[in-house]
Amino acid sequence: MAREVNIPVNVKEIKQLIKLMVDNGLTELDIESGTMKVALKRGPGGEPVVAYPAQQEQADRPKAQAGGLPDRQAGGKPKGNSKPTEALLEIKSPMVGTFYTAASPDSEPYVQAGDHIAGDSVVCIIEAMKVMNEIKAECSGTIAEVCVNNAQPVEFGQVLFRVRP
Amino acid sequence: MFSRIMVANRGEVALRIIRACKELGVETVAVFSEADRDASYLHLANERICIGEASPADSYLNIPRIIAAAEIGDVEAIHPGYGFLAENPHFAEVCRDCKIEFIGPGTEAMRALGDKIRAKQLARSARVPMAPDSDGVVEGVEQAVQIAARIGYPVAIKAAAGGGGRGIRFAHNEATLKTVFKQAQSEAEAAFGDGRCYMEKCIEDFRHVEVQLLGDQHGRIVHLHERECSVQRRRQKLIEETPAGRLDPDLREEMCSAAVRLAKEVGYHSAGTVEFILDRGNNFYFMEVNTRIQVEHPITEMVTGEDLVKWQLRIASGERLTLDQKDIVQRGTSIECRINAEDPANDFRPSPGRVEALVVPGGLGVRWDSHVYQGYNIPPMYDSLIGKLIVHRPTRQEAIAVARRALEEFVIYPNQTTIPLCREILAHERFVNSQWDTTYIEREMLDS
Repeated sequence: MAREVNIPVNVKEIKQLIKLMVDNGLTELDIESGTMKVALKRGPGGEPVVAYPAQQEQADRPKAQAGGLPDRQAGGKPKGNSKPTEALLEIKSPMVGTFYTAASPDSEPYVQAGDHIAGDSVVCIIEAMKVMNEIKAECSGTIAEVCVNNAQPVEFGQVLFRVRP
Repeated sequence: MFSRIMVANRGEVALRIIRACKELGVETVAVFSEADRDASYLHLANERICIGEASPADSYLNIPRIIAAAEIGDVEAIHPGYGFLAENPHFAEVCRDCKIEFIGPGTEAMRALGDKIRAKQLARSARVPMAPDSDGVVEGVEQAVQIAARIGYPVAIKAAAGGGGRGIRFAHNEATLKTVFKQAQSEAEAAFGDGRCYMEKCIEDFRHVEVQLLGDQHGRIVHLHERECSVQRRRQKLIEETPAGRLDPDLREEMCSAAVRLAKEVGYHSAGTVEFILDRGNNFYFMEVNTRIQVEHPITEMVTGEDLVKWQLRIASGERLTLDQKDIVQRGTSIECRINAEDPANDFRPSPGRVEALVVPGGLGVRWDSHVYQGYNIPPMYDSLIGKLIVHRPTRQEAIAVARRALEEFVIYPNQTTIPLCREILAHERFVNSQWDTTYIEREMLDS
């Protein structure tokens, strides 16, 4: 449903928008509502370059189309980088070590693409300082992608699996 | 020489270590927390490994994660920098047990000198002058009172496991001592897991003079002269210089020799610093030993021409110290100003956040050691050091002039820094006349 939003025209509010962009690492911000449009673009040096607000349109111009705030969350808080089109969950490494797909070289891998997993399913082993740690999924769904290879070193936070919820 | 080492630290000192390694042809693996992910110095390392969340306990203080990273990074040694695990003998022991060399002194020397009571006993054996003290642990209040009667008030009650200005309480009379002694014990227990305390006569308005040492694994130890670190705010150094001002050459020689004796007594190798208190009567007393490279090491490098971090790497890889004591001379004067992201108008509260504008000074005799660049986001959960401004000129007068000029050029926005305070101190008559002592700032310069 289209929302009427107050488009800022004064310098103070534009400065606030600029700070919003800087704080969130954005290079472009477009806001359109009703008869007003503001477009802000940051230059390559990271300095915000303000584009002029569109002139006041005729009073009988149609109201803002649905989704006048393009793809932004309600409340005017812009998102960061675009997400992949499919909302996949990520299982990230909780530690530093070496990733193994199976309990031992002769065993079957714990999981493969297409397998269903639950929160307490063991998905892999990460070995550190000669200790084999079983890593649990902590989420449910289907394994969409195995992102690392067997015996590959992994860092903290590295994406190990993508899961379709 | 090692072919590949890990830098188990962050920020300014991580960059310092990476630079020395590059020049020696040693590959580096840098660890980082999630808060440091975007730091550009990481790109100077050959490999970067994320070891955990922002909190130091989950990252830079996390021994299992650091060792795990060292294993997957396939390194031969770890340089711990300063702070974090640099003076942790358990960490040094774990490294060596995992067949990874720890770039620092031996584990036993670290243990001995890290325990401040044992360190004093070693200093006593090495005939290093000591302030009147309890000569060991003080068990209870009654003993504390007896000791204070012997050594005289005011007294300092210090934690055996403390150091670096932490875990110290004072008493100017018996009544205060009785109240404060038990508090000191419980605070020490809470902060360090070790409630043992000792006592020393409190020397008021003292100067802090320290001696830089290098020792190899073949028994050779040399000193690289002294540094004066009397410009402090709440026991944290702010401005350091070498040579120390108004120091009699014989006194300087005595202090340096005492430091070397102590290092030999404990079988020390790698870089280390022996800290002394100098009272108004020019008597010096042992304070403590820091078993690591120090923040202010660059001023020693400037006057002696020696790269201390490279020496640490050489020594750790087993090479011999090829420096002759007689060849280590001080040329000129070097001064360092620590530029911290702190707000002097708000009790020096940290001033983290994005550095929107940064313009760093240059010119003859100016060295800037820093990991910070324009656009860098200073994280709030680590120390507030932005960088060290180091100057070096043939005379002290010129060095002060260069430091003042360089600080005037310095632009950093919008973070608040210690630059204005440093400028004030460098222009101060007392500083120019080398009459500073360690509590002057609190006593005379700060309002509240």
